[in-house]
Amino acid sequence: MPTSALTVRGLWFAVVVLAAPFAAGCVTVKPQERSILADPIMEFEGDARAAAQLRHAIENREGSYGGAGVSGGGCGCN
Amino acid sequence: MQLSRLSRARRLFAALGAAAGAFLSASEPVAHAQTARFDTTHSFYYEAPLRSRMMVYTPGADLQVTPAEFLDVRAGWEADVVSGASVATKAGAAYQANNAAADVVTTASVRDVRNVAKGGFTLRNREVSLTGGYLYGTENDYRSHAFNVAAKTELFERNTQLELSYARNLDSVCDRVQSVNATAPRARALEDSKGCFTADPLRKKHGLDIDGLQGTWSQAWTPIFLTQIVYSAQILSGFQSNPYRSVILGQGTKAQEHHPENRARHAVAARANLYVRPLRGAFRVGARGYTDSWDIRSITGEAEFERYFGESFRLAVRGRYYNQTGALFWSDDYTGGDAPLGPKGQYFTGDREVSPFASYLVGLRATYSVSPTKRILGLLSGFKLAASADAVQIDYREYTLGGSPISDARAYIFGLSASALF
Repeated sequence: MPTSALTVRGLWFAVVVLAAPFAAGCVTVKPQERSILADPIMEFEGDARAAAQLRHAIENREGSYGGAGVSGGGCGCN
Repeated sequence: MQLSRLSRARRLFAALGAAAGAFLSASEPVAHAQTARFDTTHSFYYEAPLRSRMMVYTPGADLQVTPAEFLDVRAGWEADVVSGASVATKAGAAYQANNAAADVVTTASVRDVRNVAKGGFTLRNREVSLTGGYLYGTENDYRSHAFNVAAKTELFERNTQLELSYARNLDSVCDRVQSVNATAPRARALEDSKGCFTADPLRKKHGLDIDGLQGTWSQAWTPIFLTQIVYSAQILSGFQSNPYRSVILGQGTKAQEHHPENRARHAVAARANLYVRPLRGAFRVGARGYTDSWDIRSITGEAEFERYFGESFRLAVRGRYYNQTGALFWSDDYTGGDAPLGPKGQYFTGDREVSPFASYLVGLRATYSVSPTKRILGLLSGFKLAASADAVQIDYREYTLGGSPISDARAYIFGLSASALF
């Protein structure tokens, strides 16, 4: 595939990704409807520190990274 | 010249002061019943693949105080207490077959403590928060300075959250001083961490710089349905090998593990949470795709169901599947390269983390939390206790120890955490 076609596809992809959150503006959950959303059970990481420790234990033994928190500080995994 | 610089500096500080003032003056009171929060977490990791009994205890404690409605300040500590054995010399099946009488794979006992001290703050007004933090980590053979900043905003009646974060690590890895003109296939592995980060003339340090960037979009679609999309990128530049590990490259030849110095990594993750009223519980599912410049590609799938039993007790069951390809330079046996010594390729590794493998995790987590209407003992406005247990099965498709497959790679992870709100 020519480089210019790839560039155009990449640009369209970037535009769609960047525009998606703003397109979501037409979705409205009213404040009085948010009681369940505010419950800890609906948090993506219900216990962020414990989740970070589990991630630290698992991902330091894998070749991958990312998709959750940005962290650092070494791995303690020799 | 100096006056001009001084003037520019004053203008810069004035502008920064004005920006901070504008941010704070735009702050609106945010309801905060508690003014401090203390968290402590403890995890125990135990794995038992062939020849290792690696155990890691990770305690941590964090304190967050809210001295003003627009400001959180955090400080914390975490450690890894590591003991067990790791592979010191890695050989593959072909070499072992030619040296059947010798046990060419060796292990070395490992005892190390990683300590991490961290601190940070969050400034917030009604819809925007700015976070900054610093972390210092130290091990016998590793030093880490990490800075991170993040900005988060909420849009469309708080149904949309956008967050951008950046982290920069300036790390150092201890190594032995190699003989003059020692090329990678002749470099010798570090024997131990004695003398690391001192003036010892037999020790030196390598730099490792890490830049991490992440963007997150979280969206509430209905009163019971949320999604999140995360993009992460990371660029590593510097020493990324295990300095202690040797790899057999040919007959009578072994050398320190040698990884490329540059690595670019990308990951995209998508998650969804759905609350099911009749079950009084929530399903969480997630998927992640990952690729990097070492040609490792992976997919991760996660699923969890958590439900209430009563008002305060929650129980979750979870599962995770992970599958990755090997690095471009991965081989289980580097012997048999160009005569007379080999190795196969420019880089060589004994690291199972860059070999192709799959892993499966199943686990449970129990949480007990209380938010009383009156403070307990006039002090506590809430507390939470949680315990978890997870088991991981790892299937290494190519990694062997001298031709012996690791068919019994399992890890067990136990966690305990407690939080108190004041």
